[in-house]
Amino acid sequence: MLKKAIIIHLMDDFAAKKAMKDLGYFLAVTTVERIGEGKVRQHTGDVLFPVDFSCITFKILPGEILEGVVHKILKHGVFLRCGPTEKIYLSHQKMADYQYVPGENPFFRNDKSSKIEKGVIVRFVVIGEKYVEAEKDFQAVVSLEGDYLGPIS
Amino acid sequence: MSGEEEENAAELKIPDEFLKAKCLMNCEVALILEHKYEQLQQMSEDPMNQISQVFEKSLQYVKRFSRYKNPDAVRQVREILSRYQLAEFELSVLGNLCPETVEEALAMVPSIKTRGRAHDDDAIEKMLNDLSLIKKFE
Repeated sequence: MLKKAIIIHLMDDFAAKKAMKDLGYFLAVTTVERIGEGKVRQHTGDVLFPVDFSCITFKILPGEILEGVVHKILKHGVFLRCGPTEKIYLSHQKMADYQYVPGENPFFRNDKSSKIEKGVIVRFVVIGEKYVEAEKDFQAVVSLEGDYLGPIS
Repeated sequence: MSGEEEENAAELKIPDEFLKAKCLMNCEVALILEHKYEQLQQMSEDPMNQISQVFEKSLQYVKRFSRYKNPDAVRQVREILSRYQLAEFELSVLGNLCPETVEEALAMVPSIKTRGRAHDDDAIEKMLNDLSLIKKFE
């Protein structure tokens, strides 16, 4: 029973940790390799167990090509959602040939009638990413400059 | 933005931890996270404590962006791509984006042509053909 309690505790802490700058977002613990000897903490009476484990993390890398979903349209660009992060920004300047079309449901469109609007899947290349410690969240700036990038139907 | 000026996945210039780690395709992550989800329902009294927003959003994403759903197919994709001397990262991008032509594959993973590996167009074409066969029979 103790082992199970330790694992559940590990998973609680893991979920609360959320993300780290170097490793990315913390998705799930996959295996617990080793639970070390417990050490009693003098003042609280808690027991501290060192645990070796493997897990899955997700990090956006500069230069990589990913797909995401448009969730916000602004005059100067759009925001995409990709996995755990919603702050992926595609600037109008990085969407060659696409023009903003205002209205109740604004969108971007190019002369070949390809539309970038809410809910559309877009394939993009990552220009840069940034970790915001205070929010435990990553942001990224992306572009459509490159072959085979853009909305995917 | 990012502190590392030279970081560029297109040239496989990615942090050491990621170069050395096993990289998973979306379809592999989907299978693992779904299994975890079931495990947690059975194991925990309050599973929502161990299921973070990150977990849920990620599961949603990888399910939607998985090109292969069947566990056998997923295994076969990994097996086929593993024959081609690819870095883990390159293998995952190919398995996720499923390029249809050699041209598209090179645009998605420019690094496969560099670094002195013997990846000529014929080899890449064969790899893509093998992958598309799996999709047909899924």
